[in-house]
Amino acid sequence: MKKILSLLLSLTLSIGLLCGCGAHGKTLTEEEKNTIVIWHDKEDAVSSALLTELERLVPDIVVQLEYKSNLTEALKMVGNDPNAAPDMYFFAHDKIGVYAEMGILAPITDLIDRETLTASYVGMTLDAATYKGELYQLPIYFETLLFMYNRLYMADDQVPQTTEELYAYMEQKTRGGHYGFVEQHSTAYYSAGWIHGFGGYILNENGDVGLHLPETIAAMEYHKKFVEWMPGESEYATVNTLFQEGKAHATIGGPWLVSSARAAGMDLGIAPMPVIDETSLPISPYMGVQGVQVLRYAAENKTETVTRILEALMDPEVGIALAKVSGCAPAVEACYENADVTADDVVMAMRETAEHTIPMPNRPEMDIMWTVVADLLVNINMSGQDVTASCEDAQKRAEDLIRKMQ
Amino acid sequence: MKKTNTRKKYGTLISYLWSAPSLILICLIVIFPILYTGYISLTNMNVYHWFTYDVIGLRNYQEALLVFDSGFLSALLLTIVWTVANMILQLVIAYLLANLLNTKGLRLRNCYRTLLIVPWAMPGYVSILLWKTGMFNSQFGLLNQWMEKLGFSPVRWLANDTSAFLCCTIVNLWLALPFMITIIDGALQSVDQSYYESALLDGAGWLQRTRYITIPAIRPIIAPSVVITIFTTFKQFDVIYLLTQQAGAKTGAHIHTILTYAYENAFITNNYGYSSAVSMIIFVILILFSYVIHMKPKEES
Amino acid sequence: MRRKGKQRLKLTLVNLILILVCFVTFIPILYAFSVSINEQNSLLGSDFSFIPRKVTIANYRRVFTEEPVVLWFKNSMVLAVSTVVIALGTGIPAAYIFSRRRFPGRKAILQLLILLYAFPSLLSMTALYKLLSPMGLINTRMGLIIVYTGTMAVFALWNMKGYFDTIPVELEEAAKIDGAGPLRIVLRIILPLAKPTIAVTAMMVLIYVWNEYIFSINFMTGESTYTLAAGLYSLQANETSGSWPVFSAASLLVSLPILIIFFALQKNMTSGLTSGGVKG
Repeated sequence: MKKILSLLLSLTLSIGLLCGCGAHGKTLTEEEKNTIVIWHDKEDAVSSALLTELERLVPDIVVQLEYKSNLTEALKMVGNDPNAAPDMYFFAHDKIGVYAEMGILAPITDLIDRETLTASYVGMTLDAATYKGELYQLPIYFETLLFMYNRLYMADDQVPQTTEELYAYMEQKTRGGHYGFVEQHSTAYYSAGWIHGFGGYILNENGDVGLHLPETIAAMEYHKKFVEWMPGESEYATVNTLFQEGKAHATIGGPWLVSSARAAGMDLGIAPMPVIDETSLPISPYMGVQGVQVLRYAAENKTETVTRILEALMDPEVGIALAKVSGCAPAVEACYENADVTADDVVMAMRETAEHTIPMPNRPEMDIMWTVVADLLVNINMSGQDVTASCEDAQKRAEDLIRKMQ
Repeated sequence: MKKTNTRKKYGTLISYLWSAPSLILICLIVIFPILYTGYISLTNMNVYHWFTYDVIGLRNYQEALLVFDSGFLSALLLTIVWTVANMILQLVIAYLLANLLNTKGLRLRNCYRTLLIVPWAMPGYVSILLWKTGMFNSQFGLLNQWMEKLGFSPVRWLANDTSAFLCCTIVNLWLALPFMITIIDGALQSVDQSYYESALLDGAGWLQRTRYITIPAIRPIIAPSVVITIFTTFKQFDVIYLLTQQAGAKTGAHIHTILTYAYENAFITNNYGYSSAVSMIIFVILILFSYVIHMKPKEES
Repeated sequence: MRRKGKQRLKLTLVNLILILVCFVTFIPILYAFSVSINEQNSLLGSDFSFIPRKVTIANYRRVFTEEPVVLWFKNSMVLAVSTVVIALGTGIPAAYIFSRRRFPGRKAILQLLILLYAFPSLLSMTALYKLLSPMGLINTRMGLIIVYTGTMAVFALWNMKGYFDTIPVELEEAAKIDGAGPLRIVLRIILPLAKPTIAVTAMMVLIYVWNEYIFSINFMTGESTYTLAAGLYSLQANETSGSWPVFSAASLLVSLPILIIFFALQKNMTSGLTSGGVKG
């Protein structure tokens, strides 16, 4: 038996070793150099608008926009493998830290000089995309959550200015299958706005976890009483459907909700975030910057083509075209000179709300925080566990997991 | 003497040649990943050392053993309960249904059997999504719409541990029964009818026939499939994770199997060395477990 | 006469039970069907009924016009058929050898193989990637076929071996005396008798490939390379833009071919030992 086992093992190992030394150091043909593969995870409307713009601006480059449903995991796997990795990818800025630490991203400033960028972009979009002093993303547009309401139920003058007004409204209107206000209450992305409104944070720029801070605990405690007036489910499908079907009067949601709500014939209103009475700060959600990241292999071997694509993407027309289909706010300042953009109340509301938003942390630790905070919220909002104790446990768990990342 | 020896060797060689294609595939696709995981578990491959990892010995195992805290133990206990409950239900229900399908004179046999395996023809995640939003959703789910019609108040099916466990079991049964029914039905086909005839002459009842003829006859045929199903049930991740713990859609139930527990406490760290060590330890636990309950596939020769 | 009446009663009862079980099994599927033909654009209707007030086939039309389903279907077909052929081609000889011959290492391998199922496969993705990439098999059908056959090989071997064990050796002895070689024995004697298990194994492999999407979406890039399951997954993965009715329609369509194949295989699964002339 031992003999057989060792035979099997050595066979497997030798096959494995054979595979270890494979294709390396191949040189690219002109045709390959002129082809750019971009992975993305966007809806068809966004990707086809982007492709149209690129075909117009750089007609001689072959651009392949490929939808990848689990882009983030796939990238971890293919890394920099020239056989399988894309040249660029189009995604939010929050994964930059992971890939930068892995060493598969090239700084944008290697290809485009910094002055040109700072001169033409909305400042915070560049800040959000900066990790450890390097800029890893060419921003295209940014998005954040908005306070939305259905005018059929909530008149413009009924829109709550403060969270206590919102609470009163919920108390009064939540009955008979109708909800005054719904949100994805037990997910980290949505609850972050409340935590920030109290001055707390999930993860700060130094990589500190802030779940045990008195501010965060106060936010959790306060937010909990709102959850009692919301449905038990907190996932997208339930919350979205309640709002779209007119069963919920108001919600906090992303721009992706807008087009379907309007298509369903809803008279949709968008208002500034309610101010939290206790702190006089509005609910301040996370902001995400969607943009293009360049993989190191492509930056080194296809420098010219990649640079030309980036330059094309800096054209304000691209931002305008994408803003129109996504409802998000363009990252290039010059886009706001366009009348269509300034006339779009969703885009402008986004731009305004962005004043109070906090960019999602782009540190690798954030991968852990999404899960830990979601667990924490479930414990508090759904299982009714003690807020302070849960927060402290979560803090410990997060710190422990972060230590284990090393 | 020498002749028989060479003949024996020749026989062995022929045997290996015949099974080589299959064994090589298994080595590549099943054994290689295990060895590779074992190797990675000895390195510090993580986000900060993605391409430049070094062998660091058993340090990951030191860390990994810490995962096996009380949370892990209760997850392990739940996994065992889950496996036992699911396997018993699966075997009993599948056996009964397969027997019904083999009733003499049943004209619509093929029709029923096709209908019963329909759940199998759908990708697993599709079915789980259907159950989750279509059946169990507390706002719109079919179950709650029926509850309301019957005058009961809506129930949050996936929010507490017991009912979430039951819901997961139902979905798992729905997904797994088609396979079990097919296997047992196929095995029943192979039982020699003459045994039954003589047993009937002896006046044996259904229970006796089941116990003394059917089960001994089909056991060797279904054993491998059953063992494989036990492992898959033990390792079940999708049903429990997608129904109750999916990111952004947690329902409030805390039912962790060892795999969902390991996922939330190791895999999310992006530390491959560490999570590989956790995987290897789980692998060993599973093997030990299978020895404890004497699950070695028996061979009657 | 009384006996016949009793038999009829029993059959009616069995039919009733099976109809009930089938109905219960079908509730989620009927639900999906009803959603897919409903005009309103939501899986989550607050007042659901199995028969929608306004029936439409627009969602099915959208599946065919807006998504390259025909191409996905072709991809799935090619993968499934090749995998089944290779899995059986490698599995049958191995299962036969492991059933009939006794050779050193046989028992050890058999037990080892089944223990391999204990490995949590969450991590094998990366390892398989490291294996396939240097061979240039990422983004190729061949790579996926190898992964699929390898994954199903243990099951194929064990499952068929178990059935082969029940085929009496005496049948082969006769052929051996007539001077038939092992290849001939397998082709002429074993295969016809083992039809049920071959059908079950083939179907298992087929269903696995048909429903598999994780390897497919990780190892293949680009919409044109998707299989049906992967395409379906990508339809729903982006929840903010996914359309439930189209998704329901697509998921029902995906399961149809499997059902047809299953129905076709039924005949083979019922023949075999019970009907053949084995008893002697």
